[in-house]
Amino acid sequence: MPADKATRTVASMQTAIEIKGLSKRFGAVEAVSDLDFTVATGRVTGFLGPNGAGKTTTLRMLLGLINPDRGTATFAGRTYRQLAHASAHVGAVLEHASFHPGRTGRNHLRVLAAAGGHPPERVDDVLDQVDLTDRADRRVKGYSMGMRQRLAIAAALLGDPQVLILDEPTNGLDPPGIRWVRDLVQAQARRGRAVLISSHLLFEVAQSVDDVVVIADGVLRADGPLDQVLGGGDEVTLVRTASSQALGDLLDKEGLAVTPDGDDTLLVAGAAPALVGAVAAEHGVALTELRAQTRSLEDAFLTLTGDRP
Amino acid sequence: MNALLQAELLKLRTTRTFVALTGIAVGTSVLIAALVAILTEPTRDSVLTDVFASDTSSFLILVLAVVGISGEWRHHTITSSLLAAPDRLRFLGAKSIAFAAAGLVLSVLTATVVAVVGALVLSVRDLPLPALAELLAQVGRNAVLAALLGAFGVAIGALLRNQIAAVVSLLVLSFVVEPLVLALAPHVGRFGPLGALSVSAAGLPPEAAGIPEDVDLVGVLPAMGLLLVWIGAAFAIAALLLQHRDLE
Repeated sequence: MPADKATRTVASMQTAIEIKGLSKRFGAVEAVSDLDFTVATGRVTGFLGPNGAGKTTTLRMLLGLINPDRGTATFAGRTYRQLAHASAHVGAVLEHASFHPGRTGRNHLRVLAAAGGHPPERVDDVLDQVDLTDRADRRVKGYSMGMRQRLAIAAALLGDPQVLILDEPTNGLDPPGIRWVRDLVQAQARRGRAVLISSHLLFEVAQSVDDVVVIADGVLRADGPLDQVLGGGDEVTLVRTASSQALGDLLDKEGLAVTPDGDDTLLVAGAAPALVGAVAAEHGVALTELRAQTRSLEDAFLTLTGDRP
Repeated sequence: MNALLQAELLKLRTTRTFVALTGIAVGTSVLIAALVAILTEPTRDSVLTDVFASDTSSFLILVLAVVGISGEWRHHTITSSLLAAPDRLRFLGAKSIAFAAAGLVLSVLTATVVAVVGALVLSVRDLPLPALAELLAQVGRNAVLAALLGAFGVAIGALLRNQIAAVVSLLVLSFVVEPLVLALAPHVGRFGPLGALSVSAAGLPPEAAGIPEDVDLVGVLPAMGLLLVWIGAAFAIAALLLQHRDLE
């Protein structure tokens, strides 16, 4: 799906996050380049891309931790640093969650509650919410990866925020933990909250997201509702020919999205076999195979990110 | 700012480092005071500086402040701190005030224990005690110095970030660079913040701190003022760097 059409679809809802022309370079590496997308309230948006795609850099720019070279990243028109009561508006869990190992989980939350100006009783509320109450008085250095992740999520929930940002929240979690995160983000969205969840693994978030933003090499590849961007039901035609280069050029001229799949095979998105066959016949290209193929979500994702083998 | 200050004070109270350093500050100060009171014969004129000025808390709060702020980077807690309250200048300000307050409390606590132990030993040995007003003035000077060095430590730690490098730099500056400058160029060295100015601010005679007698130390209040200038300069540079630094 073209990115501009998808953006319009999402923008018709209330926008919680707006990224405009966001760019960041680290030395010779262009980590994020001219990124544009929006995140709507009441929906879970998956922020997808392979490792090193620029997801974490984007989220850190959004959260005021990294200064962008160009562009803006705002919540209802304000940058994170401009928000009057930031942690009551936005809760975030970043990759490599940070804790003082000698501090207990409860004290970690007490410190953040004090800094964010949240009532102390919120600490017990969120500990209960992430099911850590009975281990809250243990030092964090004794926590498992899953417990640390729950503690990080508890910290993000302290201000009962309108926007929840989770960077690779399922890293290191076991299947019940992944399911718990999925249920949590869906519950937040049902409460009208905007959730932006990043992952390099599509299958981990596919069941919980409504919209997706796909980036690779710091560049936006697509965004919009999941079924439109990565829709398994999208019409894709597989065509095999010894003249795949020539046919690819012809289909390209017809405005069709063509992806090479090996030396002699092309995948044509959004076109029925009849249309592809007609173009080939018109130009005298001999075909050895022509059939409709249903793309899997994973195929579509890998195609978009350029990781398809 | 009040919420941030509460958070910073809570950070201090909820790790073992502060408790351990408090123990070390009180323990070493009392040990020095007790040994001097037991092994020497302080006179009425020297008893204040000999026995009751042995306060290690100002140096230890300096180390604790450097460890505290650089630990934010070491444990990556700077990220969660700035997510909770993204104003970096206020974060640095709150931390400085918190360590200044901690220095003040630590110094008064140390001075109280030293005063009790020192007075007890000197009374048993039937040696002179300082006048109460003199003792209170010394406690006050030490407390102000500890507060100033607590804030200074935050600025130094924020500048260097790497915890080990920050602590090593602090030790080298305190025990190598400043004494060397003081020996080679006393007119410059007397403005060193961790050596000469700290001795001046505490109101101690140069020889009590191992500084040559011919060094012309500045007075107590000018020394405190100059320390504030050092703190202001270090804080301004640290704040400027922190404002523009990417937290990756």
